[in-house]
Amino acid sequence: MTTDNATVPETSYGPVAHHFNNMGQQHATVRLGMWLFLVTEILFFGAAFVAYTAYRIWYPKDFEAGSAALNAGIASVNTFLLLISSLTVTLAIRCAYVGNRKGLIRNLILTTLLGTVFLGLKAREYQLDYVEGLIPGNVALTKEAAENVLRARADNPNLVVNNFNENLKVVLKHNGFQGVPGKDYDPSRVQLFFMFYYGITGLHVLHMVIGLGLLSWQIVLAMMGFFDFKSRYIYVETLSLYWHFVDMVWMFVLPLLYLCGPHTFGQAVEQFKLAIGLGSGSGH
Amino acid sequence: MTATETQTETIRVATTTPGPLDYTPQMVPPPEPTDAEDATRKNYLNYDYSLFGWLFTLDHKRIALMYLAAVSVFFLFGAIAAGLIRTNLITPTGAILELDQYNKAFTAHGTIMLFLFLIPVIPGVLGNFLIPLMVGAKDMAFPKLNLASFYVWFFGALFFVYQLLVGGLDTGWTLYPPYSSKYSHTNVLYAGLGIFITGFSSILTAINIIATVHKMRCPGMTWGRLPLFVWAMYATSIIQLLGTPVLAVTVVMLAIERLFGVGIFDPSIGGDPLLFQHMFWFYSHPAVYIMILPGMGVINEVLTCFSRKNIFGYKAVAWSSVGIALVGFLVWGHHMFLAGQGYYLSMVFALLTMLVAVPSAIKVFNWTATLYGGVITFSAPMIFALGFILLFTVGGLTGLFLGTLGSDIHLHDTYFVIAHFHYTMVGGMMFAWQAGLHFWWPKITGRLYSDFWSRLAAIVMLVGFALTFLPQFVVGYLGMPRRYPNYPPEFQIYNVLSTAAAYVQGLGYAMPIFYLTASLFFGKKAGNNPYRATGLEWQTNSPPEPHNFPETPTVYFQPYEYGVKDGLSVVEKLNSGTKSDGAQTKTVGATSDH
Repeated sequence: MTTDNATVPETSYGPVAHHFNNMGQQHATVRLGMWLFLVTEILFFGAAFVAYTAYRIWYPKDFEAGSAALNAGIASVNTFLLLISSLTVTLAIRCAYVGNRKGLIRNLILTTLLGTVFLGLKAREYQLDYVEGLIPGNVALTKEAAENVLRARADNPNLVVNNFNENLKVVLKHNGFQGVPGKDYDPSRVQLFFMFYYGITGLHVLHMVIGLGLLSWQIVLAMMGFFDFKSRYIYVETLSLYWHFVDMVWMFVLPLLYLCGPHTFGQAVEQFKLAIGLGSGSGH
Repeated sequence: MTATETQTETIRVATTTPGPLDYTPQMVPPPEPTDAEDATRKNYLNYDYSLFGWLFTLDHKRIALMYLAAVSVFFLFGAIAAGLIRTNLITPTGAILELDQYNKAFTAHGTIMLFLFLIPVIPGVLGNFLIPLMVGAKDMAFPKLNLASFYVWFFGALFFVYQLLVGGLDTGWTLYPPYSSKYSHTNVLYAGLGIFITGFSSILTAINIIATVHKMRCPGMTWGRLPLFVWAMYATSIIQLLGTPVLAVTVVMLAIERLFGVGIFDPSIGGDPLLFQHMFWFYSHPAVYIMILPGMGVINEVLTCFSRKNIFGYKAVAWSSVGIALVGFLVWGHHMFLAGQGYYLSMVFALLTMLVAVPSAIKVFNWTATLYGGVITFSAPMIFALGFILLFTVGGLTGLFLGTLGSDIHLHDTYFVIAHFHYTMVGGMMFAWQAGLHFWWPKITGRLYSDFWSRLAAIVMLVGFALTFLPQFVVGYLGMPRRYPNYPPEFQIYNVLSTAAAYVQGLGYAMPIFYLTASLFFGKKAGNNPYRATGLEWQTNSPPEPHNFPETPTVYFQPYEYGVKDGLSVVEKLNSGTKSDGAQTKTVGATSDH
């Protein structure tokens, strides 16, 4: 009988915001709001992916070469971290729903930790890219690239080189990429790939940082104890929607950027070991 | 079973006062406000006078007024820039501005008018004020987000203002690379930041409106009973939600290119500037529907009220809004017919552009059919609304010239485009905005403005506007390109005509500032429903109280049930000699007696 909102009695628990009739309406509205925001976010990343796709269709070989220069080891480990964090954040919703405060705090903290480790590894990856001189534009030559250029200049004194291109050739040689620069791929177009790499991963990192901020806020709320589960679990749920979305974006970023070029398992393991300081020291 | 039913019935009776609809024709003078309405009762304006109460208010009505103030100031900025452009064009060699100053003037006019006026004006002011009232809610779904979206917008707007103060921008509002990314020495980054940030405000407003329409409707307010303004705002919000993030990313890529010297649209590393245009227009073409759809929504409300007729084809008008929103996303390529995009792609876009004319035409035909046989009163809002139909029809039809491949080659980048765009955006949106502002002014402020001055202003604006841009169709057809400060001397007569009319138009825009302000101090008290309109927003007090309605309303009627009592239209009743309806007049008289 009670189909009208006005006839639903006010629920006895939780603070209903002044402009809602009851908690059910409030929850439904908050949930819808987050889904709408995620629609916007899909278009946000979607635009970047579309631009990426256009260029990848035009320059498939160059994008393959660019991908081969990336650190697949760190990306693989990061993928596992994010997948596990999706599980922990889901467990957090369950805990909030049944009123398990300790479990909620534990799972939220776990999620935050996994996200933070992801960001740490990501920072290390950027730093390695910087050391390898893989920044488009005006970047210094690495040691090995400089030697290559000197050797080439001995034959042809008037040679003009692009520093990024020279650095890239060195990295690709180390990664065992089987392409001849200028013939199989055009190094300056790989710059285009790297613009996408920094742009898309940068946007993803930004979303991770915002997500971690929201997670921390929920941890503070839960620890301070004025967390009324029945009324506020919806905020944990919407937060987890956002977090899952950021994970899903990574599930697209990984194949688009890292898996579109050749990588071997052994090489990935080696790259990761090197990144966390356990490498054999044979790096460049 | 029966017990529950009885209980429900009692609750219904107790919580709802349906309030009989008023079928009196508009030509009858408005009902006098009763003493009860007149008293110094608590409303959203007088319950809290503190600065804090305004700046941090969560009341959608106060936020709407903050938008109104800010948007009006930015409109003034944009209008001054327009005045500079038109004045400069009086002589063939440029009357007052240097060449680079002229570039900056038209860029300032474009960016300010689009991002700081046309896009936020109706969603920000009327949308914010009216949507909760129209759906019978106490507030928007997310009041804090609503306030945040105002401040985000204002913060973004400050970047535009700063950019103007430190030297302006000369790329045109379209920001095409490689000029904007490599060659322009002006403040592209600040403008880009402004676009990025105001875009977020658009998104937040859109989320708020969609959630409000879905979840906050009062009992009885079904989708089929939503006022068409709400439908139009809903469609607008869909566009904002889907389009704005794409523009944001595009601007980010442009900024990267400009900051680091290497970028995604850079041809020297294989990038394609045309891709920028694709992504830019993917938002910016639907953005013109963001600007015009709310205006169309306003027109539905005004036309029905001042012709005392139900809207002709409610469902068709409602769904045509959604249709425009969706098809509008598929036509962006018609901006690039001559920019080097594929020939067959252009053909498809030309075809789809014709398709978007269909829902627009449905609206115009339905409005005309609504007027047919109605009892029309030429109040200021109605003059604006009729002006809208006239000017929008001209603007829309000339759009077909531009959407056709063959004629676009001749007309592309000429003043024909300028005239077309202004006929839809100013003739359409600006007139709809004025119609809406005048229509709901008594509800917003509780005061009636001068009938004579408002009607005069409407006519001055209409004449001034039509004469400003009509010569531009001609001069554009003759081949005068847009964005040039110089032109051949034989075009001078058209430009002088256009400039002179622009001053008349400016006079028209200045007039409401005076008589609307005067109405706040000297205006007659409006009463709750001076137009005898049917919308829910008219059933509450003027100005509304902080939480909109004394008690949650219940809706039993379609939104535009004007003049259909006892199955007879008002016209039929007038013709048959029975005076509109005695019973209703008696009710009004009875209440004003005590």
